[in-house]
Amino acid sequence: MTLLSNFAETASKKFMAIKNYLYKHYGEEPGKMLVHTGVLSWTLSAAAQVMAIAFNDKISKKEKLFLIPQECADAAINILSFYLVTNAFTNFGVKLVKTGKLTTPVIDKFIKENKVQNVGKITTDISKNMSGELLNEFKSLKSGVSMITNTIGSIASCNILTPILRNEYAARKQKEILSKDGNPKIVSKNSKIQLIKPLSMEAYQKLAYMKFSGNNLKV
Amino acid sequence: MSLAGISSYIKNSYLYRVAKNGSQKVQQTFYDCIPNVSIGSEKWQKRIKWVGREISSPENRLILGVSALMSQPFIDAHNKSVDEDTRKVSVCRTVAKIIAGTTTGVIIRYGCIAAINKWSKLPSSVDKIGQKIKLNKLNTFFSPSNAISDISEAMKQYRKTLGTILSLFVMSITNFAIDAPLTRFLTNKFIEKTGGVKNDTSK
Repeated sequence: MTLLSNFAETASKKFMAIKNYLYKHYGEEPGKMLVHTGVLSWTLSAAAQVMAIAFNDKISKKEKLFLIPQECADAAINILSFYLVTNAFTNFGVKLVKTGKLTTPVIDKFIKENKVQNVGKITTDISKNMSGELLNEFKSLKSGVSMITNTIGSIASCNILTPILRNEYAARKQKEILSKDGNPKIVSKNSKIQLIKPLSMEAYQKLAYMKFSGNNLKV
Repeated sequence: MSLAGISSYIKNSYLYRVAKNGSQKVQQTFYDCIPNVSIGSEKWQKRIKWVGREISSPENRLILGVSALMSQPFIDAHNKSVDEDTRKVSVCRTVAKIIAGTTTGVIIRYGCIAAINKWSKLPSSVDKIGQKIKLNKLNTFFSPSNAISDISEAMKQYRKTLGTILSLFVMSITNFAIDAPLTRFLTNKFIEKTGGVKNDTSK
């Protein structure tokens, strides 16, 4: 009983520490929260997809040996491209406000009156000596700008960059499978893999329905 | 060596400092090209602040879904490496997947954030008519101990963060329980509506 109560107490303390951490770190940075939860969402969706393949009796062992590493490679592409692009856009927004590149007239007045040094330098934080209403004004502007740049980054990575990278990778892999299964043969031309015939309906549907996500799952 | 020790060792290494300085120089050159701007219009200031205050993960998911619907079906429709029937199924499947994923994604995110709002009350929390809320184990289950005001911006963002994290775990299950069958159902409906395909193997 003592062991159980000790465990409950430790778990309770850890849970409180997690809540306090989330409050402290994401309370003022909604853009950063969206980047981190986005990475978590891609990770969970990939983990769920791998589990679904691993425990699916209809998929043979041989297919699993191919599909699971492929899913892991997909996940790496999704997570990396999402994180790198969206995080860069979000940080860009935050730095525009932090360095004093993007201001409101009230913040601009503060910079001039206090003769803030190095405005526009990426290491500068103009909010260092701010307090009260002015600090709230600064935080609201930073939140808004980071959310806008985060959304632009998410659209660019989720709807443009990631599908292109993933499709390129998936197309190469599918051509490899089809060539092995006696389907349309591949030839090498100018060091690029090309199909003699386009992918057939039957082959496409077989591949598409084998996995629910079709390499495009986002929770 | 502890994690903090390793981190400090890396940060003090010559290579790390060279890489950091190089990265900062590139970034600075980029920022130097951007002119300083002061947003004079009060209307625009209000709009930007509203985005930071009100837009969170459900709205972000909705924006991503709508923009995906405006771009991805067209990418699929112009995919020359597959035949015509395949293109048709591919477009139907993409549209179905975006609709199913966005609908469940937005609803579950809103639901989880609402649940966290109910279960993260503070001593300063009041109900709709201004009465103090009686605290119990359930309605304080997700309350942080370092928060003071229930109506502060930080508390609002905290609830959205925790709600989003909770929704991601819920969606790991609903992806297969709801999204997958709904996607298949919608795909078949869209294929039917567009006149079917010659060589259907999906049924």
